[in-house]
Amino acid sequence: MFKIFTSSQSGDLNIVAIWMFLIFVAVTLYITFWAAKKTQSTNNFFTAGGNITGFQNGLAISGDFMSAASFLGISGLVFLSGFDGLIYSIGFLVGWPIILLLIAEPLRNLGKYGFSDVVSFRLDEKPVRILSAFGSLSTVILYLIAQMVGAGKLIEILFGLPYITAEIIVGILMILYVTFGGMLATTWVQIIKAILLLSGATLIAFLVLNQFDFNLNKFFDAAVNTHDNGSAIMAPGGLISDPVSAISLGLALMFGTAGLPHILMRFFTVSDAKQARRSVAFATGFIGYFYILTFIIGFGAIILVSNNPVYLSNSGQILGNNNMAAIHLAHAVGGNILLGFISAVAFATILAVVSGLTLAGASAISHDLYANVIHKGANDKSQMMVSKYATIGLGVMAILLGIIFEEQNVAFMVGLAFAIAASTNFPILFLSIYWKKITTRGVIIGGSAGLISCIILVILGPIVWVDILNNAQAIFPYKYPALFSMTITFFGIWFFSITDNSKQAKKEKVLFDSQYFRAQTGFNKKRIFNH
Amino acid sequence: MPNKNLFNKLIGKKKLIIRPLLFFTIIPYLTFICIIAFYPKYFSNMIFNSSVSIGIILGLILIIIIWVITLLYVYLANKYIEPIIKKINNV
Repeated sequence: MFKIFTSSQSGDLNIVAIWMFLIFVAVTLYITFWAAKKTQSTNNFFTAGGNITGFQNGLAISGDFMSAASFLGISGLVFLSGFDGLIYSIGFLVGWPIILLLIAEPLRNLGKYGFSDVVSFRLDEKPVRILSAFGSLSTVILYLIAQMVGAGKLIEILFGLPYITAEIIVGILMILYVTFGGMLATTWVQIIKAILLLSGATLIAFLVLNQFDFNLNKFFDAAVNTHDNGSAIMAPGGLISDPVSAISLGLALMFGTAGLPHILMRFFTVSDAKQARRSVAFATGFIGYFYILTFIIGFGAIILVSNNPVYLSNSGQILGNNNMAAIHLAHAVGGNILLGFISAVAFATILAVVSGLTLAGASAISHDLYANVIHKGANDKSQMMVSKYATIGLGVMAILLGIIFEEQNVAFMVGLAFAIAASTNFPILFLSIYWKKITTRGVIIGGSAGLISCIILVILGPIVWVDILNNAQAIFPYKYPALFSMTITFFGIWFFSITDNSKQAKKEKVLFDSQYFRAQTGFNKKRIFNH
Repeated sequence: MPNKNLFNKLIGKKKLIIRPLLFFTIIPYLTFICIIAFYPKYFSNMIFNSSVSIGIILGLILIIIIWVITLLYVYLANKYIEPIIKKINNV
């Protein structure tokens, strides 16, 4: 099936890739060892001591965000249908100004480890933290499954390792980084990986464009002439079939980014709101540049991979699947060395992203559920213990879920994770920062309704109901639920807040002004925080 | 609440900076999405007899707009907002 990997090249390939990967693992484990000494308190575990600079955090954020799924998935989508890949790229990117303008500074000023701190700032802590933890954990776990399954398949192809071995290696390395090195080690893993991925992708794009003398006209001409769909690849195609889906997907991508717990968590690693702003500006620069590269890579693969027999099976299909387009292209323009490098980078990317996700999940379990709900007033030592056990638990769960879902189509899970982030995490965070009249009752009813409707609409929609459960017709006709579930959340929060006349609700409204002052200024952060 | 006047000044400036930037983020993006939703054919027109379609050029312009907005905000915030925040925190 995988011709290039069974030919004489495969020996070279594996050696280059494996050496590069081993060097990456050695460096990152050394960093973990160094970080472990500095990670003695819960605060250090989740925020790296708050001493990361804006530039470093910008790189780390882009490392968190540029997953193997988006590198291989978007270039694969461009390879398959051209323009459509750009819809995803731009949707993912447009979430960043939203985070910058509306979320980053208040989040940094009000929170300690995560967005749940902000939502529970003036609302009834227990129920609100439970809801936020559910929102975070469902986003993290869905994302984690998608990454783990993708990782296993990729490593199986690139390194020739059995799927289960790949899952176990990824799981164990991730547990080591996070348990011992906490946020500090995770941050440096992200930074190194971001630099590797950006340089690898730049090199591929450079080598591709070099073949066309950096003339975009010539480049796109060649792609249109090669692709079966001809000039149709330069315009929207099959990804979006109707207006509702287009708008729904657009909303999920734009607001989902602003509700991803592993991204929001990164704003607590910097010293203040000013550095938080800088982080986003750098991250947006890197991520936007990266999406331009994936676009060039996808088009490059149309020209250089899609009719080169080396990368095609006997029936003319691309080896592996569309997601392998970038990997094949690396080989086509840079030979075995670049292929090995990109394979190692893809592996590193997976490790970095699953580490960030696991850390966010551990924060929801230990900070929200354990230290503020189950065992209020728990001391730092026991919270640290719970954080580490939660990390190990999530790591083991990721390995098991990765194995269970091996044969399933998991691509929809990232979409669902974004939809949940956009329908639960983002609205409760956004409204609790800016809307005075929000109450605990509104958040709990609206937020849960959004979370539940999101999951139900995806199950009843075409992807799960028809493609996975093999029913003839979907009960809910659209692939993307966000337009509906976000409406439900916002309406639910609004309605059940304004009709809430309880004593608690009155108290919550009174507290808004001081919260708003603190959100905008960061005033007295250290003194007030021990409430 | 401490520094009421300064705080009002801060909020005023913030709104003045954030609202237009938010507008120029969301409106171009929604326009882009709506063209995809309602007039996908429009994006297939080529620019000046080249092989680059309007859709691709507008997509790239949108990426540049997003960059400019984030940089502009950081610049404006550091220049006009940060000094007021510093004042409030020092009192």
